[in-house]
Amino acid sequence: MSNELPGGVIVDNRIFFLKKKLMNNIVWILLVLAVLVVGSLEPSFFTWNIIGNVLSQATVLGILAFAQSFAIMLGLIDLSLLGIMSFSATVGLLLAERGAPVPFVILAIFLTGAAIGAMNGVLIAKLKAVALVETLAVKLTLLGAFLVITQGRAITNIPDTYKWFGQGRIAGIPTLPIALVLVFVFVYILWNKTPYGRSLYAVGGNEDAAYISGIKVDQIKIIAFSCSGLLAGVAGFFLSAYMGAVTSTFGTSYDMNNIAATVIGGVACSGGQGNVLGVLGGVLLLTVIQVGLQILGVSSYYVQMINGLIIFVAVLLDALRLRTQHT
Amino acid sequence: MSMEEVILKVENVSKNFGATKALKDVSFTIRKGTIHSLLGRNGAGKSTVVNIIAGIYKQNSGMVTLEGQDITPYSVFERQNMGIKIVPQHASIVPALTVGENVFMGIWPKTKQGFVDWNRLFKEAQMELDKYGLHVDPKVRVGALNGVDQRKVNIIRAMHGGAKLIILDEPTTALSSVERQELFVFVNELKARGTSFIFISHYLQEVVELSDDVTVIRDGTSFAGAEAGEVLSEEKLANLIAGEEVELINRPKLKSNSEKRLLLECRHVTGRILKDVSVRLYEGEITGLVGFPGSGARELCRTLFGLEKITGGELQVYDNEKAVIRNPSDAMAYGITYVSYDRHKEGIVGLLSIRENISLPLLHSVLKNRFGFVDEGRSRQIAKDYFKDFFIKANSIEDKLSSLSGGNQQKVVVAKTVSIGPKLLMLDEPTIGIDIKSREEIINNINQIAKEHDTSVLYLTNDFDELLRTVDRILFFDSGRLVRDIRNHNLSHEDVLDIRDTVVK
Repeated sequence: MSNELPGGVIVDNRIFFLKKKLMNNIVWILLVLAVLVVGSLEPSFFTWNIIGNVLSQATVLGILAFAQSFAIMLGLIDLSLLGIMSFSATVGLLLAERGAPVPFVILAIFLTGAAIGAMNGVLIAKLKAVALVETLAVKLTLLGAFLVITQGRAITNIPDTYKWFGQGRIAGIPTLPIALVLVFVFVYILWNKTPYGRSLYAVGGNEDAAYISGIKVDQIKIIAFSCSGLLAGVAGFFLSAYMGAVTSTFGTSYDMNNIAATVIGGVACSGGQGNVLGVLGGVLLLTVIQVGLQILGVSSYYVQMINGLIIFVAVLLDALRLRTQHT
Repeated sequence: MSMEEVILKVENVSKNFGATKALKDVSFTIRKGTIHSLLGRNGAGKSTVVNIIAGIYKQNSGMVTLEGQDITPYSVFERQNMGIKIVPQHASIVPALTVGENVFMGIWPKTKQGFVDWNRLFKEAQMELDKYGLHVDPKVRVGALNGVDQRKVNIIRAMHGGAKLIILDEPTTALSSVERQELFVFVNELKARGTSFIFISHYLQEVVELSDDVTVIRDGTSFAGAEAGEVLSEEKLANLIAGEEVELINRPKLKSNSEKRLLLECRHVTGRILKDVSVRLYEGEITGLVGFPGSGARELCRTLFGLEKITGGELQVYDNEKAVIRNPSDAMAYGITYVSYDRHKEGIVGLLSIRENISLPLLHSVLKNRFGFVDEGRSRQIAKDYFKDFFIKANSIEDKLSSLSGGNQQKVVVAKTVSIGPKLLMLDEPTIGIDIKSREEIINNINQIAKEHDTSVLYLTNDFDELLRTVDRILFFDSGRLVRDIRNHNLSHEDVLDIRDTVVK
């Protein structure tokens, strides 16, 4: 099938487009493969108990990956998520220890996250700070502050209503997967249905062209980092509720995996490209692998290495996707 | 020296980029000690040919031979050492370094300890400059030289590296006519010593003046500029470049703007490059801008659009005596829009569709429904209307911009810009690098918009034939000042060149 356009341009061949489509949806193929491999080695994988476990573990990673997607969509990166998550959860729980009501505590956590994110956004958009280094500085500062405040002790004195958000059930369904779905729907609508979301794609795709088209690029970036910070706060809330504690290693296992999930899910590191559903696919893939390794009894020494390899695969996939587009 | 000695031969070269066929069976021969011009519209495939000769791209089929040897397996670097040198459009010199260092860039003479041997460097550079007749001090920074001397430094660097074939990509843009002649004398001297040149230029007159042979690239195919024994002629070359007979739009010009309503007035506007510019723009009038890069012509557009700061003077838009424009969204609130000369950097979002690109300026206004969501139906309808009016060639409005040809991308950029219903439409090289048919369609659309909506248009182009066919009035800029403001009445291409070159001090 070929279709000649004036000017000698020929739009051609199904294989080309098929290849592109395949590259853009590869995460789902990998997910099915991972489920089949783990399931065939350990049939108990297909029990409700384990599936529930996968979905619960996917929740915190998923919310963080959605947070990261805002930055990567802009062609930037946000390394501060772990810092924001730990710090805002700590702020909230210290308030709870002093007897603040739970709704107030939750609000404080979300606002703390959003405020730090907004600060990242202002520094990056207005002062043109380099996102990689700025967010690294914020991460280190916040993780340090977290240790200073807690003096290394775990905060475990948490009200039961607070814990319910991470451990309870609604109509028999664990709260965490419900939270994941809600956040997914929120980000999906924001990205696909609102002027803000379309502007985000435009700024990520070509910042100068977007600016010339009258889009307030700085504002788009600040809102993106604010959303990112807010979602990091949300992730901190659910993780602390699930664990019933904030410990000194709070959330560290999600630190870099959120970047891997986002990129495997098809958000291009160069920005402007990707979709929310793909990110969800990336999150599920990573979680299946993690849980799979646990139930197969693979030594935790290997898990770290496998995590590294997954990020490696993610970045190669990203490079390959770019190649199929440009050649 | 035999004129029949062949230096470079391109035989049946084809090149595909993904699904796009950029070159089809391109063939031509470059003789030793000749100047061979490559002509063609931007996007026709000229730069692809050059990149294949230089080794930046590999052809899908066909062969390139240098003095009979197939050079396909050699890298860019190896080909340079074999004698194929490119002098790019944007001079590849480092302005902050001296002439001597630029000549020896990458091959600086070294002392025994491995440091740069400055004495030898400047002495040898002086010898090179003398040899090729460029009278400048090798210790001077290149940034301090004028345009033509900078290009000469570039060519001397290529000569020093043992060039057999030098590719000159648009070497005369931004040069005055005196400087052009000076460059041609220099090139002709090197040619007489046996060096061959590939000369790329848009100016047919200088191509005919300078070339021994001409090859025209059109839609990725090569055509000989003249049969054996035939004399080169501008008319024949122009027809070969255009390919088909396209009717050129020649709109009736406004004799005066006294009947028209005043839209915008600059009073003593000063900004980046601009110095004390005062001008009035009227509804329904198309005003051309002429000036070398950095003269203020482009800066006027970019300043009015809020991309450059105004540091002095005032702007009046209709009754608004002191209009403040700090960024593009301010400008658009006054109905001022801008199409950038750099389509890829400041025009298209290649990853988004035609519909999404056209929607961009409307997202936060017209297209926002009462729930705060994007009105998809309206967005589709607007895109469909422009798709039809602008004759955009694509499968549908959902095609990604990166899959369109340059001309169609540009149509989308112009459509996007006019979608807000502008009062002042500023077009900065709107037809650069696009095919002739798309160009005329765009000019026709702009003409319609000016006529039907009484939109004021600022039109910047270096194609003076196109300028004269399109505009009612011409503003000439030099060193940031508006130096002439004339009506387009019985002006010729030469008149425009003459005025431009005489107003330059």
